[in-house]
Amino acid sequence: MARILAVDDSPSMRQLVKLALSSGGHQVDLATDGVEALQVAEKQQFDVVITDVNMPNMDGISLVRELRRRTNYRFTPLLMLTTESTVERKQEGREAGATGWLVKPFDPDRLLSIVTKVLA
Amino acid sequence: MASAAADTRCRCETLGVSAEAAAILLAFAMRESETPAVELGSALERLGQGLRPAAAPAAEALSRELAACVRALQFHDRLMQQLAVIRNLLTRLADHPLPQMAGFGAQRWEELLAALRERLAAGSHDELFELLVRTGGVGGAGGGGAAQAEGSSELF
Repeated sequence: MARILAVDDSPSMRQLVKLALSSGGHQVDLATDGVEALQVAEKQQFDVVITDVNMPNMDGISLVRELRRRTNYRFTPLLMLTTESTVERKQEGREAGATGWLVKPFDPDRLLSIVTKVLA
Repeated sequence: MASAAADTRCRCETLGVSAEAAAILLAFAMRESETPAVELGSALERLGQGLRPAAAPAAEALSRELAACVRALQFHDRLMQQLAVIRNLLTRLADHPLPQMAGFGAQRWEELLAALRERLAAGSHDELFELLVRTGGVGGAGGGGAAQAEGSSELF
């Protein structure tokens, strides 16, 4: 079982990600934007962070960049889960330090298998 | 001449008010649909928790149904995002009424599109604008590319 932080400004998306990952036995914490996610991530260590890109206060790419600056998140898998699918945005995510890019809508089983893969 | 200018100005003001009213209605509708969507998500979560100790094969079948619900409910979130972009576009139109343009012939339509394109040139707004005005709807070449990317994943 992994401890996962899911970050999305949409309440229903947060619930759906939590539902999908909980069904695989993972413990899921939630944050509504990058700022809140940073606060939560500083209080406790997560094994994986899954974040949306477009959010108020701090977007997902900035969040990834900030997390990578912290030594305890240097090697943590950070996944982007977003509706955006352009090559440019993916490149931004890659340069910020994201581990992978998933395009919504996600399939629950696929999300679980990707989390398992990045944790291996 | 002065009367025509006044008429056009009046039309622009009406357009601005209509755009603002549409933006407000959209915002209300979005807010109203958020709670039921969250309640539905919570109900699914409870169903999922109830399923865990259950034995196969009934639990497996129900898990599959649950996964289908998770996939389907994400389209509500997407709709909210699209409506938010439209709401923002309407708000911008309301803030900045379109330039003087009378008539609705093909040439005027082109002028209107050009003016809108100029105003909404920023990134995602421009992309959405192109999607909205493309002849043949969202199933066209550009929309197909986006649809193909849906559900895709890539590990760096």
